[in-house]
Amino acid sequence: MEISSPQKPLFAAESLERRVAELTVLYEVSRALQKLSDEEKTLYTILVGVTHGRGLGFNRAFILLVDPKKESLQGRLAIGPSSAEEASGIWHDLREKHQTLRELLDSLVESDIKKDLRVNGIVSQFRIPLSDEGNSLLKIMRSREACLAVNGTFEPHGFAVDPVLPDLLGVRSFAAAPLFLADEDLGLLLADNAITQAPIDLPNLRLLQIYAHEAGSAIKNIRLYRALMEKIALCERATQTLRENQYYLLQAERFSTIGKMAALLAHEIRTPLVSIGGFARRMLRATPPDDPRKEEMDIIVSEVSRLERLVDQVLGYSKLAKPEYKPTDVNSLVRSVLLIMQDEIEKHSVRAVLDLDPSLPPVEADESQLRQALLNLATNSIEAMPSGGVLSITTSLDREYFEIGVYDTGVGITQEHFGNLFTPFFTTKGTGTGLGLAVVSHVADNHNGSLRFDSRPNQGTSFHMRLALHPDVASATRTPHASRPFER
Amino acid sequence: MSTILVVDDDKSLRRLYQAELEAEGYRVILAENGQQAVKLAASESPDLIVMDLRMPEMDGLEAMARLLQDRCSLPIILNSAYSYFQENFLSWAAEDYVIKSADLHPLKEKIRAALRAQPPNQLLSRNS
Repeated sequence: MEISSPQKPLFAAESLERRVAELTVLYEVSRALQKLSDEEKTLYTILVGVTHGRGLGFNRAFILLVDPKKESLQGRLAIGPSSAEEASGIWHDLREKHQTLRELLDSLVESDIKKDLRVNGIVSQFRIPLSDEGNSLLKIMRSREACLAVNGTFEPHGFAVDPVLPDLLGVRSFAAAPLFLADEDLGLLLADNAITQAPIDLPNLRLLQIYAHEAGSAIKNIRLYRALMEKIALCERATQTLRENQYYLLQAERFSTIGKMAALLAHEIRTPLVSIGGFARRMLRATPPDDPRKEEMDIIVSEVSRLERLVDQVLGYSKLAKPEYKPTDVNSLVRSVLLIMQDEIEKHSVRAVLDLDPSLPPVEADESQLRQALLNLATNSIEAMPSGGVLSITTSLDREYFEIGVYDTGVGITQEHFGNLFTPFFTTKGTGTGLGLAVVSHVADNHNGSLRFDSRPNQGTSFHMRLALHPDVASATRTPHASRPFER
Repeated sequence: MSTILVVDDDKSLRRLYQAELEAEGYRVILAENGQQAVKLAASESPDLIVMDLRMPEMDGLEAMARLLQDRCSLPIILNSAYSYFQENFLSWAAEDYVIKSADLHPLKEKIRAALRAQPPNQLLSRNS
């Protein structure tokens, strides 16, 4: 096919001029929006573009957005004078300044947002539950077509205008353009000429529609940017925590070496002290009250007692007997356990997967006991997967309890062993002590919790520790030996 | 008369415990390490064992593990200079835990309590 006919001009001269003006507005506003990293300022800039004389030239503009929980459409920000007097003052000032749209928009990056009281009072009253299917504003937002409220009807949709709207806005005629991006409805942009009462024509409406589309992208962009920034901050915090944990691990190892030496020393000192003091007591009992040596023996007995107390104090014996509950971040505990086990995990070609509930608050727990229990469970899981597999650890919150789940895709536990699983010294491994799960069970008990498991041959095993968020409160009523695992 | 098996690697302490417990009216038999303890527990049928933890040859924890594996249900009182074994799971298998002290009253009290809970006659044929 040949193209022979001379091209007709697409637009008449006047129309072309208008197009250029429109494109300039769009260009200037989107250029200004790119410089912003703040949602509130983005909204403000969008509104300025709608109302500026060299912009879209509306008198007033309102932004309504779907809230982050996606429950309602809420008024967020508005711009515009509250009366004809205020309007002429502002417009006079703007004329005096001879500011171009670009100059004005550029000045917004640095300056604070000026909130017009009356229009923001109006916009704050918009709160439409998204479940309110019949609401005309929601219908417009979902239609994704801009429309004009005239004579009680939204044109071209034909929806009836809710009579509340003209009352609230104080105008009968206003434009509404949906803000959206891809498949997400973001909100609505409303604009009117409340002061000049100038009619809104179709080209105006069409421009608002295009403008709203740009605005939707800008709002979405700024949100993605914010989310990205938060993720980066989170990653940085996680890295920081990881570094701290490594430090604590080293510290703990050093302390445990000191602890071992101290205990060894105490053992060495304590044994002769028991002999000296024990025999001195015997001799003291056999000595008549009037014997002059009695006083000297008393000195030996009391000095030995003093030394024994000293050893007790040095080692903090009294502290060791029961679990110490402290606010513990279980999720980072899980991560640190995985870190300790990294070598084992790699050696056995196991892939570790974490699914940790970020809403888990710090829980009252004995961190070292919990760490031991987790280590035991993870070790069992890895050993159950001699030819590799997936080790998953999950945390979740359930009212007054939290649960730690350890899953493997290993060989599973034979049903005949189910009953003996928590029995001490019961082991099916060549090298095990048979204490691992017994310890886990006791730790669960200490935290006023429970331990259950699920296992299928050649599919895998999972253990679930369900522990109280505040075990000290719950366990205050329990007897200390309630958890003795042996039957006599 | 109840028989008490005292297990301790320290010679002076064995002598002290023997003297003190005999004075309380118990028959006392002695073992130097876990291995001897396991043997004597089977051959002498004591009513109770006072077990040290850190010993050469076979330590107290291992001895207790052996006894438990043999389904021995004798009450065992752990008597140690260490307290951190109290945190060890095994210590919960024991009847009680005493930290070694020149003051033997707590140990004697715990022996009395354990024997009250388990009258000697019932123990005669409980090893399997």
